Amino acid sequence: MKLILLLIAGYVFYGLIDLKALGILVAMSFITYCGGKIAYSYKKKGDDSAAKYTSAAFIIFEIAVLCFFKYSGLIPMPVGMSFYMLMAIGFIADCANAKFDNMPSVTQTLVYISFFPTVISGPILKAKDFIPQLSKKHTFTKERLYSFMTMFAVGAFFKFVMADRLSVAVDKVYATPLVFSGMTLFFTSVTYTLQLYFDFAGYSYMAIAAATLLGFDIAPNFNLPYLATNPSEFWRRWHISLSEWLRDYVYIPLGGSRKGVIRTYINIFLVMVVSGLWHGSTINFLIWGMLHGIGQIIHRAVAKPRKKDATGSRIFSMIINFMFINFLWIPFRVPTPSEAWMIFKRIITFAPGASYYYVYTFIFGVLMLITQFIGSRFNNGNDPIKPLALDKLYAKVIFCMIIIVTAMFAYFGNGAFIYSQF
Amino acid sequence: MHNLNTFFRQTAGWIAAILIAALICNTVCFTFYNPCQDIPRAQGSTTGYLLPESSGVYGLEGYCIAHVDENGYVNRDMERADEYYVVAGASHTEGLFIPFKYRFSDRLNEILYDDDKLHFVNIGKSGNYFSVVLQHFDGILGEFPDAKGIIIETDSLAYDTKALYDSMIQTGYDPDETASSILSHYSAKQKAVIRTKQALPLVRELHKQYFTYLDSKKAPSESDILDPAFWQSEYEGDFEEALDTLMGYLRSKTDKRIIILFHPAVRLEADGSMTCLSNNAEDYYKRVCQNHNIDFIDMTVTFTEAYEKNHIIPYGFSNTTPGDGHINRTAHEMIAQRIAEVLR
Repeated sequence: MKLILLLIAGYVFYGLIDLKALGILVAMSFITYCGGKIAYSYKKKGDDSAAKYTSAAFIIFEIAVLCFFKYSGLIPMPVGMSFYMLMAIGFIADCANAKFDNMPSVTQTLVYISFFPTVISGPILKAKDFIPQLSKKHTFTKERLYSFMTMFAVGAFFKFVMADRLSVAVDKVYATPLVFSGMTLFFTSVTYTLQLYFDFAGYSYMAIAAATLLGFDIAPNFNLPYLATNPSEFWRRWHISLSEWLRDYVYIPLGGSRKGVIRTYINIFLVMVVSGLWHGSTINFLIWGMLHGIGQIIHRAVAKPRKKDATGSRIFSMIINFMFINFLWIPFRVPTPSEAWMIFKRIITFAPGASYYYVYTFIFGVLMLITQFIGSRFNNGNDPIKPLALDKLYAKVIFCMIIIVTAMFAYFGNGAFIYSQF
Repeated sequence: MHNLNTFFRQTAGWIAAILIAALICNTVCFTFYNPCQDIPRAQGSTTGYLLPESSGVYGLEGYCIAHVDENGYVNRDMERADEYYVVAGASHTEGLFIPFKYRFSDRLNEILYDDDKLHFVNIGKSGNYFSVVLQHFDGILGEFPDAKGIIIETDSLAYDTKALYDSMIQTGYDPDETASSILSHYSAKQKAVIRTKQALPLVRELHKQYFTYLDSKKAPSESDILDPAFWQSEYEGDFEEALDTLMGYLRSKTDKRIIILFHPAVRLEADGSMTCLSNNAEDYYKRVCQNHNIDFIDMTVTFTEAYEKNHIIPYGFSNTTPGDGHINRTAHEMIAQRIAEVLR
């Protein structure tokens, strides 16, 4: 009964957003189940190669479907397809490797792929972690309610106040970059860097909050990514569910770091190329992924393992890494490589133009820096946001303030989630 | 019993938390959004006053701490000079987006006069667009009989023939309809509402947010999406005749100096240029105004040159977006300089 309700909720939620694509979601879910079931039964019979080839065939088919919608441009890509197709591929791979004690039922598979808190923009759930939770008895607890309330409120604040308000400046400047000075373009690139984080992290907090209320445990998708000191660490902190998916289903199958230094570098590069292509169909995303790959390779080649960096050295590394990540978000944001190059050129040549320094970039940037930097100190360098103990009056006041401030400052304009378009 | 106690304790805790949080947020509102209270009126030089001797804070677009004078207008605390001009217009003139001394009316005072008196009385009122100001023209003359001249600000000339004729329908003037007399007729309930609103800017902010949200769900209105070229067809036929009748009417009412100030909206272009959005009516206005000895100031060339030479965008603030919304401090300065040139 619980599974049926979750399934209905998933399909109703998805249908309300993209009714036309609901059929594709259902069809791909059934195909995924069939692929997983066949591969799983071969594996259980001890026929590893049949399991491998069967799963490979289904995975190639699913990649082809994803590529068709993503790159052909003939039909608009269904909402959330990039996310649920990765989950589907992961499911088949897990079945082929018999990661489950028993083959998941068809209903469990359908619920896993259409799970409404995550179907639009992730986090990308791991089948082997999520599906066993479907069989557990879920009880509604006060702790889960408090966790939901806190995380949802923080997510809504991130999204509707911070991200959407920053988007105003970003959209304006990137629509007419030739109007603005190099310094303004640099400043706006920082604005976009913040917007992207607040947008996607905000969505992730809300999705995880909703799942928590339903009794499911989903790992965090962000962990203070802009405090990373190098590109590899950044990817361990940014869109963690995607990074882990790429590690488990691309990097490790390619050989990971077990086949020598050169192969490791090639594997890192390929993983980031896949990541770039997953994000979008234009050459910009390919360049963005390649540059991230090159950044990670250079860091891996140059960096020497140290026990513990001094604070000054860590801060310096954070700034350098932030700049690297920040500049790479430029091709991520604009439509063509030539426009990205034009913006980059205007920044480094301090091109003259109109000056515009958006005040909310300062406010939100400083707020983020202070809370995350100080907060992480008390949490071993990790995200300090924790569920409020809402039994206490001070926690209730903080929660109410987050809600009121969100209502006061929410921006009502273009509020689409950035990552739902990928 | 224990559960019931816990329930009541938690409920009381939540009520207390909501009140404490609201109180803190309300206090914060006093620093960035606490607009002055409107006092509507039927006749006179504007559609309403602001609550006399009150203050307000406007921080959502630009930033301004406003003080309303004893007459219900937003002016600096100065004695009115014997020789003064009335500056009428909508929110651009009212200028609740920049500190007072930088508004074009205040800058004119500084540029043209050395004394500490008010020579440019700002009666700008949000929503008092060009046609509305013209409908209150008799009201302005009645309320400010000693004024040396009248400056009417507008960011749009896009009015069709009917609107021009309608602008001549005057609201009239009642000398007894002052801000203080209107207030004195307010009931105790109305006064209590005003006081409550002043004390609770948070409620007004949330109310505003709610209506902004509703507006965001609406499709753009016809006037928002109309291309300026649309108006070209409106200017054919008897448009110039209507404009001539209107300007002749204004001139027939007074021999004071009349200045119409037009500052066009702008659009930033992908090629790096800035376009002043013409309503294609400027030439008609220039011609007709000249015939009736009315000064017509068009800021198009000044704005364009300022952008081309110094990359100055006349609209927008650091907490909104460039090219949008209201004129900023630099534009107010440019406008003040242009008007000063005309008045010298």
